[in-house]
Amino acid sequence: MLENFSFRTITEYLPLFGYGFAATLWLSIVSFAGALAVGITLCAMNLQRSQALKVPAKIYIDVIRATPLLAQLYFLYFGLPRLGVVLPELFIGILALSLNSGAYVAEIIRAGILSISRGQVEAGIASGMTYFQRMRLVVLPQAFRVTIPPLLGQAIVLVKDSALLSLISVSELTRAGQLLASDRFMPAEGFITTAACYLALYYGLKTLAASSERWLRLRPTGNLK
Amino acid sequence: MIKFRGVNKWFGALHVLKDITLNVEPREVVVVCGPSGSGKSTLIRCINGLETIKNGDLVVDGQRLGDRATNMTELRTEVGFVFQSFNLYPHKTALENVILAPIHVRKIPKAEAEIAGREMLAKVGLADKFNSYPAELSGGQQQRVAIARCLCMRPKIMLFDEPTSALDPEMISEVLDVMVGVAEEGMTMMVVTHEMGFARKVARRVVFMDAGAIVETGPPEEFFSNPKTDRSRAFLSKILRH
Repeated sequence: MLENFSFRTITEYLPLFGYGFAATLWLSIVSFAGALAVGITLCAMNLQRSQALKVPAKIYIDVIRATPLLAQLYFLYFGLPRLGVVLPELFIGILALSLNSGAYVAEIIRAGILSISRGQVEAGIASGMTYFQRMRLVVLPQAFRVTIPPLLGQAIVLVKDSALLSLISVSELTRAGQLLASDRFMPAEGFITTAACYLALYYGLKTLAASSERWLRLRPTGNLK
Repeated sequence: MIKFRGVNKWFGALHVLKDITLNVEPREVVVVCGPSGSGKSTLIRCINGLETIKNGDLVVDGQRLGDRATNMTELRTEVGFVFQSFNLYPHKTALENVILAPIHVRKIPKAEAEIAGREMLAKVGLADKFNSYPAELSGGQQQRVAIARCLCMRPKIMLFDEPTSALDPEMISEVLDVMVGVAEEGMTMMVVTHEMGFARKVARRVVFMDAGAIVETGPPEEFFSNPKTDRSRAFLSKILRH
């Protein structure tokens, strides 16, 4: 079986995979930054008492979480031009990932904030802090610790989701595999290499998550009493 | 200093404060006791606006609560509140806990706040714990940090909501000692507690509440030795029996 497997071709295509690896990495980083921005905004809206801010955020989060990312991506890629908005595919890809992942990030951050006990908020209120002071000095620093591990989990999901961008011909890892598969009729070589690259990205993020958890464990948290 | 006049409050259908009228003079120490669910905590939580009242007048330090002109955040800087569950900031050291509000709310320069904070922690007997996190402190130590945190704001009034009821018995006295010290310095205090030793030592008056209403008030000696109402007698017989 393995005599048909061409390592030589893979070596030939390595520059293409290197390019795809770099593309997936940086577009994931940009998308995740976008997701954080979208998520923080949505979460801030969701936590307000005003229904005018809360309801749109809730609807947005529901719509995103209820529909497949592929459908969202196709809507932006095929749908928007029909509505007169033409954007480069790379931009559309990053936009789709940011908007999609942002909904999940919003819920992760919200869970983190809600996990902070009411007593902490009251201690802030009782000492005369304003809403923003309480958030900045008391709630968010504590919520931040709770949020980092699930956020890194979401980052891992985002990296894998970015494979869908190959369908709108963004040059990234999966696209590199597709090219090798179709140019040389070598899908095994192509997609195994693609998979190996994702695995490398995954382990990178996992190491980051593990070290962040170790770092958080070294610092005292509120869970002890 | 604190004036309740005809104050009422409901939680849904539950009438938690019934026509409360009570005056607390400057430098007076008032102990509030009563069975659980009698509205004692709600009563003192209204004073710094952690709960809002439905009707009646509540005037604190000359400002009427619920008035547009009353700035609650400003008023709260004058009113310290000690919680049953301490509510220290777990991500901050003892010293950071006590200087946080002075720096950000009182706008005191950090260096100055730190000096005052160290002094205050030393005063409550925690000179060796400046850099400890709450999780590294015992309950009694945490509650003393919480009291120091309030005192660092130089409040005019201190409210204590069952400050010793979450503590192991051997830690209660270290917290009460600190509270006695605060009382003896002339702080206006309202303390929800069943610690009768404390009440006898420093309280000018004991207020007994039941089912949302003030049933009886009087000097501690008189209240504990010669309660006037059936309800207070029943309550005292229960807590004194053991």
